Amino acid sequence: MRRRFVIGKILGALSTLVFVVVFNFFLFRVVNDDPINSMFRGRNLTPEQLERLRVKFNLDGSKWEQFVAYVQQLLHGDLGYSLKSSRPVSTVIAEAIWPTVLLVGTSTLLAMLGIALGYRAGWRRGSSFDAAATSVSMLTYSMPEYWIGMVALGVFAAGLGWFPVGGLNDPGSTATGIERLLDQLHHMILPATVLAVAYIGEYMIVARSAMIDTSREDYLQLARAKGLREADVRKRHAQPNALLPVVSLSAINFGFVLSGAIAVESIFSWPGIGQQIQFAISGPDFPMLQGLFLLISAAVILANLAADLLYGYLDPRVAGR
Amino acid sequence: MKRQLGALGLAIAALGTMAVTTANASGGDEKVTLTVGLMQDLDSPNPTAGYLVSAYELWNLQYATLTDKAADDFATEPGLAESWEPSNDGLTYTYTLREGLKWSDGEPLTADDVAWTINTSRDQEWINHAATTANLDAKVIDDRTVEITTSVPDPKLPTMDVYILPKHIWEEQAAGDITTYAADDGVGSGPFTLQQWNPGQDWTMVANPNFWRGEPKFDQIVFRVFTEGSAMVAALRSGEIDFVHDVPSEQFEGLSGEDGIETVIGQQGGFSELAMNGMAGGIGDGHPALQDLVVRHAIAKAIDRQALVDRVLLGQGEVNPILGVSPDSVWFPEIPEADQLNYDPEGAAKLLDDAGYLDTDGDGTREMPGGGEPLQFRYAQLSDSDTAGPNQELITGWLQQIGIATEVTTYDQTQLTDVIASGEYDLFVWGWTPFVDPDPMLSYFTCAQVTTDAASPGYNDANWCSDEYDALYEQQNQELDRATRIDLVHQMLTLFHNESTYVVLYHDADTQAYRTDRFTGWVRQPKDVGPVLFTNTSPSYWNLTPVDGGGDDGGTSTGLIIAIVAGAVLVLGGVVFFAARGRRQQDDKE
Repeated sequence: MRRRFVIGKILGALSTLVFVVVFNFFLFRVVNDDPINSMFRGRNLTPEQLERLRVKFNLDGSKWEQFVAYVQQLLHGDLGYSLKSSRPVSTVIAEAIWPTVLLVGTSTLLAMLGIALGYRAGWRRGSSFDAAATSVSMLTYSMPEYWIGMVALGVFAAGLGWFPVGGLNDPGSTATGIERLLDQLHHMILPATVLAVAYIGEYMIVARSAMIDTSREDYLQLARAKGLREADVRKRHAQPNALLPVVSLSAINFGFVLSGAIAVESIFSWPGIGQQIQFAISGPDFPMLQGLFLLISAAVILANLAADLLYGYLDPRVAGR
Repeated sequence: MKRQLGALGLAIAALGTMAVTTANASGGDEKVTLTVGLMQDLDSPNPTAGYLVSAYELWNLQYATLTDKAADDFATEPGLAESWEPSNDGLTYTYTLREGLKWSDGEPLTADDVAWTINTSRDQEWINHAATTANLDAKVIDDRTVEITTSVPDPKLPTMDVYILPKHIWEEQAAGDITTYAADDGVGSGPFTLQQWNPGQDWTMVANPNFWRGEPKFDQIVFRVFTEGSAMVAALRSGEIDFVHDVPSEQFEGLSGEDGIETVIGQQGGFSELAMNGMAGGIGDGHPALQDLVVRHAIAKAIDRQALVDRVLLGQGEVNPILGVSPDSVWFPEIPEADQLNYDPEGAAKLLDDAGYLDTDGDGTREMPGGGEPLQFRYAQLSDSDTAGPNQELITGWLQQIGIATEVTTYDQTQLTDVIASGEYDLFVWGWTPFVDPDPMLSYFTCAQVTTDAASPGYNDANWCSDEYDALYEQQNQELDRATRIDLVHQMLTLFHNESTYVVLYHDADTQAYRTDRFTGWVRQPKDVGPVLFTNTSPSYWNLTPVDGGGDDGGTSTGLIIAIVAGAVLVLGGVVFFAARGRRQQDDKE
């Protein structure tokens, strides 16, 4: 891989990140520039008390002054205080990351089973397996997460009572270690399954069409002519070449793991990043929104960078050009 | 393959063993827990920083006050103070604390804690204290005696309902920026104190053995945060939780018929209003017709308030045209029949006809007298409100019937606050929730609260101002005789009603529900009409008694959890196994 390719990609990612920092700051302030008055409506506060709150949350001064203060804080690794909870934004985000990684990460991994299904279906295009897998995938792909979630909640939690209706732990439980983890797994089964069902179709369809494209290539005929077994033709010659679209899809989706799953986290009251986004939007809690969007953008940008570099490795033509 | 299967078997066996051990381990310490479901996380346990309803409930539980409020009618009752004596001029009260008061950590609670809280909150202008303590000065006489003096006559005394904080914890915090303190110490004087908060999930409060009324009759309260209303109701049905605050209105009716579940429609004076721009601040561009009392009366009479309660609130509210200044209805005047602005579209149209607001160009909308500007009003509503849409459809329809056109815009709360501050509006629909004392809500409509500079808006969002109202306000603000003060407030509210700058659409309600098989002793505050929890002082908590045999939480046991996890692993393992086998057969064949 050429060094210029790598450096170019990294610089590109960095400049996108800088753009995001600037854009995030002004985006929320275009529509709402001072939430203090509406937050404390009817609280019987004096103008002096309101002004002190503005100073505390860096909402006094001009937009430019606020922006400079924000960037200075950011360079010191300080994301400011949440308007709603008065807690440091970084603390709130740190607390929400584990539940989100656990839930969305697990379901993304589960959904990657779809790749295997897609390869199989694409390889034996037109078979009954292909017909069944494709139609089921199209079905789950087109169902909204919210709807699958509500049905699952109604049947397996509220109806049959197999699973709790939401949350990460049994509230008030003081369990630690393995018992706590098992409790979290028990809470996670339903939302993770819902997400996996919602995601799996996408992987299956992309992997299938990549495999179909590849299966027409001449070098597969050559491989067969060399006398390779059909399974080896698929594994050694077809699958590696059908990998590229799947890699980029996976990388992008892993980037989005950190952005949580707003709909499913909301239904299952899952204390992750998606839930924090929901809390922060009704406010609006600028410092929280800025911090959350920065985290999500950084994750997506990094995942894309990883995909780009991996591409260069998997397909030397990309990096060499 | 055999090796893989063996590993799977081992894993399942290990899980099974764990199931047995953990199930045994968690057997002994069953705590009696009240689990409360709500749709709001805690913002901050720190009373100098938090402002959400959830936080007020926490402070009501954790911090006792000098005087308490009766469950039935908010009457002032002994709290931490067992008695008090006024001075002859009514400006000084001497409170005597109960004997042997202790904080939950065992430290003595003395007059020093009380005086420190009152004086420091005044000096530092704590957001939830200063409105009460701004004019007060507290002096320690001895450990059990504190003397509180007000610089201006204050009809709220001897009520002293600010949260008294433990000086030995908070003094150190007050030296710096007290609002950034995490307040996770869990030291208090109320029935329950904070043990743990898992942000976004739940917080747990444990019984305080040193509570002055005696230790509560159950061990702990868990407040559980939901982000989906129907999931919360499902949890109540399945017994995972015992109480629900803010039942979504479409689910409420279904719940009210159910066995073992009691529903509550709780009034606390909160209301929604249609406000009209009176332009008293001289800024903005409100429609001139709205400064004419006739037009305001016509608008009031065009609105069918009963229909709003029935169709928008699905019956979960009350028709009441009076500004909700308090959850205590003693402050609400009776409006004489002749002055009531009840639904009467013909009467409304006649008012406009007689005053010369006629539709001269035949387009269905009236014009100003003499054929000027049409009566077309901007109507602003909130985006994050379930009732905004239905309210707007009905109200704009009714206005159209009497020849008034509207142009609807939807804003979020911050935007609407800005629009109101700039005076660039005609009508908007929003609501308020009052304190127990009517003074704050009454103060919002004085001339002093009218916005004259959009950069620092006042609370008077109707831009309405009346010298007569202000004079009455000053009187009630210093009137120490309760009966006279009630009469003054009645006059103010009658005046405000007749001026019709606000059309109070309805008094809305807190919809709550609880299981009857777990606890008894739920108390409504105020009597008969209020909610049972999340009330002004929430007396239910120290009244609740667990129902015999109700100790089981109805949740799943650890053993079952493990069994389900093991089952899931088994199924997943099976899938992997068969997939692997399938592939092998395939490979062998080809």
